[in-house]
Amino acid sequence: MKQSLLLLLSATRLHAQLMAGGKILLQREFNDSQDGWNQFSDFIKANKHTTYLLTDLIEEDFRHEIVPHLRGRRHAALLKRKFDQFYRDTPFHQATLLRRQKTGRRDDDMIFSALTNPALIKPWLDILLVHEVPLAGIYSIPQISAALITNHSSNHLLLISWEKFSGLRQTYFSQHRLQISRLTAIRENKTFNDALLKELDRTFQYLKSLSLLPANQTLDVRILCHAKDREELKNKLVGNEDMRYDFADLGEIGRQLKINYRFTDSDASQIFLHQLALSQPKTHYGNEEHTHFHSILKLNVALKWTAIPIFVASLALTFPTVLESDGSQAENKAQQQQTQLTLSEADAIILALPASDVAPIDMKSGVNVMNKLEQYQLQTQDILLTVSDALDQFPQIQIDDLKLLTSATEPVAVNTRADIPAHVITIKGNLHGFDNNYRSILKYLDRFQLELRKKNFQVEALSKPLDVSPGGSLDSSLGTQEDALKFSLKVVWRPLL
Amino acid sequence: MSFSNTDFRLLRWNVIVLSLSIVVSGIMIYASDQFSKNAAENSRMASKLLNDARIRLINARRDRDNFVAYTSEYADIEDHQIFSDGHRLDWMEGLNNLSQQNLVMNFSYTISPQTIYQPQPVVDSGNFEIHYSEMKLQLELLHEGQLLNFFNAMNEQIEGYYQLDSCSLHRVDTLTDTDKRESQAPEVKTNIQAECSGGWITLKNRNAPL
Repeated sequence: MKQSLLLLLSATRLHAQLMAGGKILLQREFNDSQDGWNQFSDFIKANKHTTYLLTDLIEEDFRHEIVPHLRGRRHAALLKRKFDQFYRDTPFHQATLLRRQKTGRRDDDMIFSALTNPALIKPWLDILLVHEVPLAGIYSIPQISAALITNHSSNHLLLISWEKFSGLRQTYFSQHRLQISRLTAIRENKTFNDALLKELDRTFQYLKSLSLLPANQTLDVRILCHAKDREELKNKLVGNEDMRYDFADLGEIGRQLKINYRFTDSDASQIFLHQLALSQPKTHYGNEEHTHFHSILKLNVALKWTAIPIFVASLALTFPTVLESDGSQAENKAQQQQTQLTLSEADAIILALPASDVAPIDMKSGVNVMNKLEQYQLQTQDILLTVSDALDQFPQIQIDDLKLLTSATEPVAVNTRADIPAHVITIKGNLHGFDNNYRSILKYLDRFQLELRKKNFQVEALSKPLDVSPGGSLDSSLGTQEDALKFSLKVVWRPLL
Repeated sequence: MSFSNTDFRLLRWNVIVLSLSIVVSGIMIYASDQFSKNAAENSRMASKLLNDARIRLINARRDRDNFVAYTSEYADIEDHQIFSDGHRLDWMEGLNNLSQQNLVMNFSYTISPQTIYQPQPVVDSGNFEIHYSEMKLQLELLHEGQLLNFFNAMNEQIEGYYQLDSCSLHRVDTLTDTDKRESQAPEVKTNIQAECSGGWITLKNRNAPL
């Protein structure tokens, strides 16, 4: 668990407590002397953690100023001038913008504050710097206490607390903004209650004199105290038109802030220390030089937290790739085994084949080519026998010419094979023995064509003995000449499907 | 926030850790990329080898099936001397033998130079080139039957494959009316003249040595 070192500096001593997870692991007190510094130096060597230095000093000054509203370098130069003017001798200063005015030039309403006695801080700070302690910041109780009144309803509130080694702290807030704070040491023979009763009236008058509290304005006073002091204070502090009292039990505040600490008296130091540890605000009075080693610590943390994600991201990138590749290697092995088995089977088949000069695929090709060419060949015998059979039934037909050829370009008839060339037969012949009986001639030739068609031939008459169509010519000499009854037919054959 | 050289002493370990982290991460990413590429290449190679083996097995099975199915038919074709050139003399001798058998009244032939043949429709001839030696025949016949007998005898007696493409038959009137009256015993004359065209087919394996 992350540990942090909280330091509470008062005028005469330094309280140190080591904390982790809201619990106090270790507490030490160091006097403001050479011995105390030496002891603190040894302590710091052994407990070098992120450190928060909370100051509770009388020498803390607050100045309310209205300055022109500027930005950038001009604003920085203005602040520098103001610091040189107000707090030339101390590096522990800060400027806080309270609000911007709503009228006129709309100037900035600012509060300048500083720890005006650096000699009280420097010895302790030097020890921290020598030991390169990561100091997160230098804080003050009045500034830290602002967080305790954020929810309070009053616009004019005086917060009163007691720190055992410092004294009575009175911090005035107007509109929830810190205006002024006073620390009054309590003498040894006086109690917190006695001091409080004595100082309250003085503070009220002081606020009035500075016009921080408007006329006829009732001041709300909130007192942080232990339950056992509360009853006594309630009896002695009776509210009136000037002041109203509100008693806040330290134990109750501790529970609200989830502070794991048992309060035994009205000392509110632990409230402020725990509040600081919880909120870890930006430094109030520390400058870059003071928080240099904390900056280095933050940079170291940043470097570390940059290195880890880079490494983790590269792991996240590479791990799935390696896993996937590993899986693919297993798959490769399975494929290699499959390859060996397949090759073995193939080799066994090849070895079992009888020796031959001809590749089996070539055997197939050769046989297929020759079978196909057989089908392409002119089937002279079949065709001549078929035609001859048909002619036997038609003795009045005499054939003069017969041409047979194969043709791949001939149109394919229905239900015949297109992958084989057609056999085309051209028959030229003549008809005899009809005595100019024209009708008988044409019928005879038609019957011959029909007979051929019955034998699965496609038949087309190229020329007839006489053309009785409307476009044909006719004359009286038909049948008297030798070639008068000549005809020609085109007969096509393809194997049926 | 400003830093001096002396501050590096406080930062050095984390700077080293960050640098190492960047370097190691870079090496890991590069190595895994290479590993992945190698694995992908190996996977591709394994797939290719497996595919090759499967193709080899398919081819072996096909060869086995082809061998069983076609050996006998191929041997028959081979016996007919289809797979070699140089049979022109055999064809001439065979045709001369046919002429002495009086199968037809008379016949003559011409054989043209060999050419590459492309049948129509196209035939997938595999590794074979189809060679074609065109032969034209002029025949004198008494009747059509002689033509059929002639081609049957040619196929049976001459080794090779003759593909007949076309035939043209023409009836011849050999006897005039005067001849018919004067001639008591007319000579046997040609009745049909035939012209046939075709070619001797041989197959040449493209992969066979020259």
